[in-house]
Amino acid sequence: MKTDACRHWKEDLGAYALGTSPAKSGAALEAHLEGCPACRAEADSLLAVSRLLPHADPERFGPAPQPPAELGKRIAATIGGERRSKRRQRRLRFGLGFGGAAAATAMAVLAIFVLSSGNEGGPEQHVAFRSLPTGVKIAATLEPQAFGTEIHMYVKGISSGTLCRVYMRGPGGGDVSAGSFRYRWGADDSAVLSAALDLSRAEALVVHAGKRTFVAPIDRAEATDRNASQQEEST
Amino acid sequence: MPPGALTDERDVREAYAAHASELYGFAVRSLGDSGLAEEAVQETFLRAWRAGERFDPQIGSLRTWLFAILRNVVIDLGRARAARPTVSDEGIEASVEPFDEALLSWQIEEAMRRIGDQHRRVLVETYYRGRPYAEVADELGVPEGTVKSRVYYGLRALRVVLEEMGYED
Repeated sequence: MKTDACRHWKEDLGAYALGTSPAKSGAALEAHLEGCPACRAEADSLLAVSRLLPHADPERFGPAPQPPAELGKRIAATIGGERRSKRRQRRLRFGLGFGGAAAATAMAVLAIFVLSSGNEGGPEQHVAFRSLPTGVKIAATLEPQAFGTEIHMYVKGISSGTLCRVYMRGPGGGDVSAGSFRYRWGADDSAVLSAALDLSRAEALVVHAGKRTFVAPIDRAEATDRNASQQEEST
Repeated sequence: MPPGALTDERDVREAYAAHASELYGFAVRSLGDSGLAEEAVQETFLRAWRAGERFDPQIGSLRTWLFAILRNVVIDLGRARAARPTVSDEGIEASVEPFDEALLSWQIEEAMRRIGDQHRRVLVETYYRGRPYAEVADELGVPEGTVKSRVYYGLRALRVVLEEMGYED
């Protein structure tokens, strides 16, 4: 039975559970536990906690890193964009049929028309990466949003499963992460990303696809000119 | 669709507010890279939202479900990273432990962070550093009985925090 006398023992239960009691007081406590179910139950419960301690690394008890403030907004924006893009997907996919050169040119013209008419969140900008390896196509549409820029990425012709990390380059060359996606063969959907950088301040769109890096300048002065010159950087 | 399914953008915002910090902390510990950890957390919430209709609170907690998604994301990112040279930032050492062991370790470390400084201190000194109670008491300028008492209440606090965090045996 648990009595006031148990208070005296309580002090020792922690050390007992940790296995750090001196042998003498440990034996006396054992004797008490034999006859006191309440203290026995408490000791067992603390023993269960104590058995977890070896799994922790005391060097890691310092403050935990916190997610950056904009991460939540970026996720909310990406989800919002994904919801909207479902409505547009059919039109956008139509504009991105990567075929022969002539067909691609015809499609690009069509894409501009489709993108202009499909505008819901402001003037969209179409960015087509050039100087790409044969068979590879990378394109993006950028849409200004209150949080920054919504980015729809389209990739074709790279290895399935390739991790693509996307950044928007701001004034002065600082890159703002827009997140990442993995290209899958047969998946025609766009990856919807977002960056906390205003489109009007963006200088370039940077895509790290596997070991290669592609950069497409964004012509801020001519936001509607979708024929911006392109370049490729090697990593 | 089960009641409580994660279908609304507001549900995701609430889930983020409640769990992003933990998911991110664990992702950093597990991946050893804050940039990758951001990607992992973002991907976790996107997958959660896309599969939100399948979430059933009757089966398990939202936290457990999110950690299960994060597990898959971390494994995917780990595979992608294994294929190329890594750059670890902020000097954080990448963990090589299997996911479940890393998760268990992280939960206990997180619980340790949440209990009071005094409780954590005596647990570190007496248990992890194996120092005698009398020596620790001397250093802290308190009676030995107080150190023992803090060890006891520290373990109790740890138990409560682990329960609050949804730790399951």
